[in-house]
Amino acid sequence: MISYNVIGQPIVRSDGFEKVTGRAQYTGDLKLPGMLWGKVLRSPFAHARIIRVDTSRAVGLPGVHAVLTGDDTRGVRYGRRLFDVPPLAEERVLFAGERVAAVAAESMEIAQNAIDLIEVEYDPLPAIADPLESMKGDAFLLHPDVNDYVGLPKKLEKVSNVFVTNTWGKGELDTGFAQADHILERTYTTPLVHQAYLEPHSCVVFIDEDQRIQIWAANKAPFALRQQLAAAIGVDEDRIRLNPTYIGGDFGGKGSPMDVPLVYFLALHSKRPVRMVMDYVEEFTAANPRHPSVTTVRSGVLNDGTLTAWEARIIFNSGAYGGFKPGVNLGGARDVAGPYKIPHTFVEAIQVYTNSVPGGHMRGPGEPQGIFAGESHLDEIARILGIDPLEFRLKNLVGEGDVTATGSLYRDVKAKETLEAASMAARYGSPLAMNVGRGMAMGARAPGGGETHVGVIFQKDGTVVARTPILDQGTGTYTTVNQVVAEELGLSSDKVQIIPWNTDAVSFDTGIGGSRGTRVASQAAYAAAQNAKQELLRAASEIRGWDPSNLVLKDNKVYKGNTEDYIDFDFVVQNCGFDIQGTSGIEDREQLTVTAFCAQIAEVAVDVETGQIKLLRFTSAHDVGQVLNPIGHQGQINGGVVQGIGYALMEELEVEDGRVSNVTFGDYKIPTMADIPELRTVLVQSKNGVGPYNIKGIGENTNTAVAAAIANAVEDAIGVRVYSLPITAEKVLAALRESNV
Amino acid sequence: MHDFTVHHPQSLQETLILLDRFGDAAQLIAGGTALMNFMKQSLLLPEHIINLQRVQGLQHIQSTKDEVRIGAMVKHREIEKSNLIQNEVPILASTYRRVATIRIRNMATIGGGLAHADPAQDPPSTLVALNARIRIASISGERTISIMDLFQNYYENSLMPGEMITEVIIPSMHSDTKSTYLKFLPRTADDYATVSVSLIATLNENIVRDVRIGLGAVAPTPIRATIAEETLKGHAISDELIQQASNSVAQQVDPLDDFRGSADYKRDMAIVFTKRALQQVLQGPS
Ligand SMILES: Cc1cc2nc3c(=O)[nH]c(=O)nc-3n(C[C@H](O)[C@H](O)[C@H](O)COP(=O)(O)OP(=O)(O)OC[C@H]3O[C@@H](n4cnc5c(N)ncnc54)[C@H](O)[C@@H]3O)c2cc1C
Repeated sequence: MISYNVIGQPIVRSDGFEKVTGRAQYTGDLKLPGMLWGKVLRSPFAHARIIRVDTSRAVGLPGVHAVLTGDDTRGVRYGRRLFDVPPLAEERVLFAGERVAAVAAESMEIAQNAIDLIEVEYDPLPAIADPLESMKGDAFLLHPDVNDYVGLPKKLEKVSNVFVTNTWGKGELDTGFAQADHILERTYTTPLVHQAYLEPHSCVVFIDEDQRIQIWAANKAPFALRQQLAAAIGVDEDRIRLNPTYIGGDFGGKGSPMDVPLVYFLALHSKRPVRMVMDYVEEFTAANPRHPSVTTVRSGVLNDGTLTAWEARIIFNSGAYGGFKPGVNLGGARDVAGPYKIPHTFVEAIQVYTNSVPGGHMRGPGEPQGIFAGESHLDEIARILGIDPLEFRLKNLVGEGDVTATGSLYRDVKAKETLEAASMAARYGSPLAMNVGRGMAMGARAPGGGETHVGVIFQKDGTVVARTPILDQGTGTYTTVNQVVAEELGLSSDKVQIIPWNTDAVSFDTGIGGSRGTRVASQAAYAAAQNAKQELLRAASEIRGWDPSNLVLKDNKVYKGNTEDYIDFDFVVQNCGFDIQGTSGIEDREQLTVTAFCAQIAEVAVDVETGQIKLLRFTSAHDVGQVLNPIGHQGQINGGVVQGIGYALMEELEVEDGRVSNVTFGDYKIPTMADIPELRTVLVQSKNGVGPYNIKGIGENTNTAVAAAIANAVEDAIGVRVYSLPITAEKVLAALRESNV
Repeated sequence: MHDFTVHHPQSLQETLILLDRFGDAAQLIAGGTALMNFMKQSLLLPEHIINLQRVQGLQHIQSTKDEVRIGAMVKHREIEKSNLIQNEVPILASTYRRVATIRIRNMATIGGGLAHADPAQDPPSTLVALNARIRIASISGERTISIMDLFQNYYENSLMPGEMITEVIIPSMHSDTKSTYLKFLPRTADDYATVSVSLIATLNENIVRDVRIGLGAVAPTPIRATIAEETLKGHAISDELIQQASNSVAQQVDPLDDFRGSADYKRDMAIVFTKRALQQVLQGPS
């Protein structure tokens, strides 16, 4: 391996000091002169016709500057890809929590009082919460006009609540099933869960004297948001500027425009800057949580454990709208078939409208749902065949040259090595006490591609400023840019300062998501640093009259070739007479031929009298390229596992009469430190990766297989399987009792 | 949050006068951990808040020969850490230790907690098993009630307008009394109990001389498992007896379906945890 000075070092994160000292400015901290508070009135009904909205008393309240209803935003539809979300409901509300009216007022209290004065008359209608009901031919249509929506990938022949279907597969299913000695069909369900970021959705919109729309938003893809908003409200993108701000956690939830279009209208009508911050009850009831799913897997297998066929159908409950998804569907669903060499496969992912909170995504769009089903299913087949789940997986996992179940071919495939490393670290196979079990699951993900820019500017004091249009949502992208620039310029990390750009500064940035941050940002930072370095050498050569082709940057000095003759770097910057800088624009959207595997093993003890699961330890093995920062890397692994434990054991937004009922962190529980067992990590080093340092992604992979590993461990411990997440104590006890009758 | 006026009385008398004057328009604030949540959710909209932090005479932990007295403003964390409590009423220290997180316990008070009257809280079932008494004051005088008479319903106590809790009085435990507090937490370590059991027992050789069982989170108020107590009292300990006594709690509990489990599950778990508490105290190492 190449040795580096800054890359690979446990550098303290660039945003850490500002955050722990409370200096970091988030959107909700921003204060502009004359700024108003925006508030929303939400529907209490899951489905209703709006008969009348009377805003007269709210309009008359002193301090109120705008009161809007669906009439004021009529016809506007927005979204990330599919434009089906109205800023305010028009004729009908489609979920409990949908925005019906909004106000902008001089204080939060006045805004709330104004909201309380708005009278809405509803005609409640029957609601469909269950996607299976919604798919039926006689179900009423949530979106009769779906074929008119911008962004719908394919017009529906017959309009239905099923608005998009994606399929993957190869071979002939019939052939595969005909060959099989055993066929197993099972159905798995996963719940609606919230990302539980600390900072709720918030935004500030201000139309300035030049008629520019100035925006600060807790959104990790500002350029995409600019496009989405421009298209929705019909203005040129150039009129919109997204300004940098810190983002207080994301986990996939901070990619949608959320309230920005509505707050734009409030700013337009009130002619003032308007700030809107969702409270957490609103977050739980009306943001963009992870989709619930119902997945049926049917598989065929030979007696010797060779998989012959795999058919899976994932039904995603999209909720009332589809606009908060990163795509129109959730592509990760295909991972239900996993990195296995199954010859005959067919995977189908369906999105269905229902009268519930619209789904967005969370740490792997569609993958946690698919992998829970697929990896649970694999374990059950192994047990039916009497083959150890480890051996069964090793037999079917792809190796070099093998095509995965849904047709991907990778090189430098480390699937088996990763699983074996996890097995070693977890001491898989060593004796277990009564009611203790181990279970495993696997995932794989290549980092996504995209576009970004970086600027590197030498400062007269010998430091360097690096500019990026990426907004770090907590995963450490600023630190990545810092380390790359420091490395390439031979500086220590503390000499590089990150200053984010607004959207006027460069043409485009894809934004954070899909584990692309490190892949794209490291390449852009590398290129910008190289360009800046060339400029520096050129400046040094001009000052000294040296041959520019033979200069070396080392230890803050520019050396003439291999001689002892040098010039101090800050001297060059101070005396060259121009700004020394380098910029880069990187576009790398290539579908990668390397991926990253993850294998996880849970060890649990089950209390058979109560059903309670105690996690004893949790082991993760990751196949990695060059780790840029071991602290950040391990943080992603630990955080992903902890979030996966919540998904596996306790998290669920419960919906009663179409309304989310557990709307506080007292009722919606996420794991605390005391609930986390010993976490073990093993890294399997791979030579291949992407970009100048051969990196792989780590953000999502850590999270997607956790629930299946735990479900499999529970079956190993007590011989019963729970097919629906979360695997609560009560469900385990019920399953145990059922198995004993 | 809505507008309100905060008062900072220094003495009990001053507090009681304010309470009398503002009546329903006022709320006392002790640790504020429950009140602030209610106010943020607009469940309570007091115009006046009377802060108990500076009131003299509500901060003591004292013991006499046969009782321990705890002032209403003593914090959970102080009870948990108090040597006096640990020695004289160990179950009380161990119960307070199980409440929420250190952050909450550093703020929440014994008086505020009892007035809050959520049956899923930890201390109530233990104080019920301890036969605690509650001292109550108002401008027109004082009264002392059994803790069983404090709890009326979910979040409902029996205090009259103008009244407040000043002290909790706990009869001392005999030195040969054994006890345990079990809190069932199937979700997270900082959750409220799905069920909780407080058990205090005195044995004479193998015979149960006295036993008191408090159950939390299984009814609109904390309850005593009286049938189980009667089943046990005067009898020789056996597995059958313990099982029989434990099964009987199913008749006495009346739980709700909620995020911590269905009513049926809580009923079953009340049996399991009563049994575990009995096994631990009656059959465990002495
Ligand atoms: C996140 C969280 C988790 C929790 N988890 C648990 C748990 O696991 N177990 C548990 O047992 N509890 C738990 N609690 C509840 C906690 O115990 C109560 O909030 C606390 O006991 C209330 O005490 P306080 O002093 O803060 O009361 P306050 O909030 O100040 O007051 C509560 C109510 O009592 C009234 N009041 C206060 N003092 C008096 C008095 N002297 N006389 C009469 N009325 C009075 C107030 O007017 C108010 O109506 C939790 C609370 C939170 C916020």
